[in-house]
Amino acid sequence: MNMHLRSRKALGIAVASALAVTMSGCGGDDTGRSGDAAEGAPSPGITDDSITLGITTPLSGATAGPGTCTVAGVTAYFGAKNAAGGVEFGDGKTRTVEIEALDDTYDPQKAKANYDQLKDDVFAMTAGLGTPTNRAWRDAAIADEVPQVLVMTGDPLFSDTAESPWQLGFVPTYLNEGEAFGELLASSSGDHKVAILSQNDDYGEGYVEGFKSAIEGADNIEVVDELTYEATDTSVDAQLTELAASGADVFFNAMSVTPLMISSLQKAQSLGWTPSWFLPSNTSSPGAILEPGGAAAYPGIFSVAFSKAPASPAFAQDPDVVEYLAALKQYGNYPDPPAFPHCQWSWMVGATLEQAFQNMEEPTRDSFMEALRSIEDFEAPLMLPDTAVNTTEEGQPAVSTVVVQKYNGRGYDTVQAFE
Amino acid sequence: MATPSTSTASSVWQRPWVRWAGPLLLVVVLAVMPLVLSEFANQTIARIGVYAVAVLGLNVVMGYTGQVSLGQIFFLGFGAYVTAYGVSNDWNIVLVFALACLAPAVAGLLVALAAARLGGLAIAMVTVALPIVGVPLAKRLSDFTGGSQGMSARFAEAPEGSGLYDDQWQLYIVLIIAGVVFLLTRNLVRGKYGRAFAIVKGNENVASSMGISPYRYKVLAFTIASLIGGVSGFLYMLVIQYTSPETMTFGHSISLLAAMVIGGAGSIVGSILGGAYYVLVPQLTNEVDPSLTALLQGALLLAVLFVLPGGLVSLPRALTRGRRPRAGRGSAAPPTTPSSTTGSGTAAEEPETERQGHA
Repeated sequence: MNMHLRSRKALGIAVASALAVTMSGCGGDDTGRSGDAAEGAPSPGITDDSITLGITTPLSGATAGPGTCTVAGVTAYFGAKNAAGGVEFGDGKTRTVEIEALDDTYDPQKAKANYDQLKDDVFAMTAGLGTPTNRAWRDAAIADEVPQVLVMTGDPLFSDTAESPWQLGFVPTYLNEGEAFGELLASSSGDHKVAILSQNDDYGEGYVEGFKSAIEGADNIEVVDELTYEATDTSVDAQLTELAASGADVFFNAMSVTPLMISSLQKAQSLGWTPSWFLPSNTSSPGAILEPGGAAAYPGIFSVAFSKAPASPAFAQDPDVVEYLAALKQYGNYPDPPAFPHCQWSWMVGATLEQAFQNMEEPTRDSFMEALRSIEDFEAPLMLPDTAVNTTEEGQPAVSTVVVQKYNGRGYDTVQAFE
Repeated sequence: MATPSTSTASSVWQRPWVRWAGPLLLVVVLAVMPLVLSEFANQTIARIGVYAVAVLGLNVVMGYTGQVSLGQIFFLGFGAYVTAYGVSNDWNIVLVFALACLAPAVAGLLVALAAARLGGLAIAMVTVALPIVGVPLAKRLSDFTGGSQGMSARFAEAPEGSGLYDDQWQLYIVLIIAGVVFLLTRNLVRGKYGRAFAIVKGNENVASSMGISPYRYKVLAFTIASLIGGVSGFLYMLVIQYTSPETMTFGHSISLLAAMVIGGAGSIVGSILGGAYYVLVPQLTNEVDPSLTALLQGALLLAVLFVLPGGLVSLPRALTRGRRPRAGRGSAAPPTTPSSTTGSGTAAEEPETERQGHA
């Protein structure tokens, strides 16, 4: 009984002391919670000689290929800059740029967790790939006033300054791409009948909306048939058969699924329908889609781009491309030739960030956002002629201009007019 | 302060006051914890709470009743979407919570009424269909779900005057809701229904001969699992504040299943460990090498299953068995389990012995 009492007393003391310890810890818990920084004080993630950027992007899983590229490009860009001494900032100090990248496997929940983990250590978040994975922490980034800039999503929400004060998209929206097609077609001299097949979601809708707004009022263009499919469909043969019967000479196929695009190219041929094709930028790879699809049978395959393709013989000696490929190998931890345009885009993100760094006058996130939003007609390395980074246009991502290109049997050439 | 309890460690755990003090201490720690931890730690624990509840639901139908369900993520996603829709339409939050529980439960009931007629792997196949149907459905019903762009809903700002930060407030809500769900589930599986579930899991013919309808109990278990899945969906929206069709992809359902087996099938504490595994391991592998996360997670999963086929929850037992071969059953229980030594020992122990064969 005595022992019982004593052990009880021991436990009571243990509980009391545990409580006392935890309670005393309460006083100092203000540290580590963002949003309370004094005016003008340096933001987290920046010191006098370095700045840290965070990235959450898919590095494993189905989208790991492009995801890895989004990290490799910007890491290579700043790796080369750091080796040369660093980047000179607008406040006169020279800083090295460090990148902290985490894998989110294209899972919004993990992307949010990665953001929570990074936000107090990094100055800004950048370059991450994916619409849902960027949307998942958009609200939190606004509340915490953490920049979420030059992210790789075609979602226009990220370029709406009123809705997203701390965000800026990098790549052109689906709308921008559709518009470029429409403009090219509307400017052609002949009459054209257009058939449209689009994915039944925001991706397809964006393309179609942009395309239609561009051909509005053009008398020579008539949309003769318009169908949709689901992203989960395994075949669009029925839609293609119906569209072939429309007699269209131009086919706008807003499709994001690689195998479906290949089988569409094959199916239309077997139906004896050979229109000119307009393909989105992410399903127009010469090696992965056009060759297996037998694209040579068509009079023209058109797509859009804003970056130089390093694999293209036309750019093999281009100084931008040579420098980029060398840096990607040496600093980007990416020894192979880049398989996705995201590597080039990410390199351009690096160059655009450098522009903003050079113009930011205080080491704060506010000053950075101001500098980032005032970049005009900056021709980033690897950019095609007639495209530029322009962050001053309301409602547009950093790159909103694309050029239309035509398939030449191996790669793409920029075209000024349709046929 | 020489504690006399060292020599009598095993008997101390059986004293009645310890049985009360243990849970009490746990409650106090949980109540104080959000105030002292960093923001990121709070958010991480809240996420663990979300997935612990999801794994718990899966445990009810799989761990305790032995029916393979590969669709649990669908109910989490359903609950999350109901919550997001309700919040974005400014419905009362209590009503939203009730709907986030009930709607998935009704969906689960309807599926179970049909699926539970099937046996064995057929029921698994039916549940596979749920996330596979759920993703395109969420994309298609864009008026309700926001399509593939998903839905954001922030509804858990700390109330004015409470003096709490948002992350602390959210963690308190998660702890309270998850605590209640765990307590109720624990009581369920320890009681009459738990014994019936165990018998249905063990042998359906025996169950029938004892007057326990396997069909009814399978439907019941599945419905409860769906309801708990809905609760975890509500918590998901509370913590993550965003849902999209990606939330309920089939791969996540498999991850939940892996988390349940790793934590410990048919175990309440195992559900918490499973939730912790689901959340912490990606963070851990990200620290090691962000480009090798999938590989590292696979290796870790294999390692745990080789060393601890009964899941992480069997770790203390495996340790004590190795050190003290003579240890009694009661003292070998995991120390974090509130009163695992009480009451109907058969119901609590039976699934654990069977687990070796099933896992």
